[in-house]
Amino acid sequence: MVRGWNMALAVAGLAVLSAVPSATLAQDKMQSDSMKKDDAMQDSMKQDSMKHEDMAPDKNAKALLTGTFHGKVHSTSGRATVYQGADGKKILRLTHFKTSNGPDVHVILVATKDAKDDANFISGNVERIELGKLKGNEGDQNYELPENIDLGKFQTVSIYCERFNANFGAAPLAKF
Amino acid sequence: MNTNQRGWISRNRWILVLIAIPVLAVTWWEFRPEKLFINQKVNEAAPFAASGEPQPIYTGVLEGKAHPTSGRATVYQSPDGKNFLRLSDFATSNGPDVHVVLLKPDEKALGGVAIAGEMDMVELGSLKGNQGDQNYDLPATADLNKYQTVAIYCERFHVIFGISQLEKF
Repeated sequence: MVRGWNMALAVAGLAVLSAVPSATLAQDKMQSDSMKKDDAMQDSMKQDSMKHEDMAPDKNAKALLTGTFHGKVHSTSGRATVYQGADGKKILRLTHFKTSNGPDVHVILVATKDAKDDANFISGNVERIELGKLKGNEGDQNYELPENIDLGKFQTVSIYCERFNANFGAAPLAKF
Repeated sequence: MNTNQRGWISRNRWILVLIAIPVLAVTWWEFRPEKLFINQKVNEAAPFAASGEPQPIYTGVLEGKAHPTSGRATVYQSPDGKNFLRLSDFATSNGPDVHVVLLKPDEKALGGVAIAGEMDMVELGSLKGNQGDQNYDLPATADLNKYQTVAIYCERFHVIFGISQLEKF
């Protein structure tokens, strides 16, 4: 009889233990009024089909990766963010951006996790992808990324002076 | 010697000038020194319209302090002006009485032990889950210029599990 009670206690104890969750999971939606958002999106889709010609900007662009610039030799600051549009195209956008002006400055992606402020890419033999000439040393600007780019490999944006092989500033990208 | 040299220079002045001009031009083109003083400003629009969706205004990566913590903390602004904090790809350890709070970056507790009642913080609520995406309303009075550090804070043991330094998006 005593043995039976012991068994019952043990079973009850096990039941309590397994009921206690080891982790609490939360899964909030982006917005509480997601219903309203859906409505709004349907509206905008209608609008898009109405005026198909004037290349309506992509409203469903999602931020994939983001990071902030560091650069001491040529003080560089701001944010780099990779967006993907609904059509799959990826764009790098620089915001709050500021660096020093210089000759032949380019925006590149390098296959490293981060780059030192005085990094020298050609001698380091680091793979890189050219995104174009720096449009301005101050202000918000966009650069198209090539299709099929492996952002798991090219993880750092660099403001790179081609002529002197100098890294003005770098922004390591992390998942947004 | 000195007069000789001066004589040589004045005799060959035009040759020297002709050599100097391209040398100076190439040097200028190489270094473009005037760019030290001239800025080139641009202001491109975002590749997408700022539609009715909440826009990120601050973001930062979460890092562990007392316990391994990872993910991203982002402050969104809704079209109606309300701000909320969203934790995404979030994971920390579970614990008793864990809260999400905002601290000042120079908060003493970030360097050592938090002392009850001595922390200058903005309470956002109990942690909804130790894993997963979650939102917290920000009080309208919360000054994000001052309180720029998100902290996962165990009230019972005054331990900061993890933090994220918010930076402008």
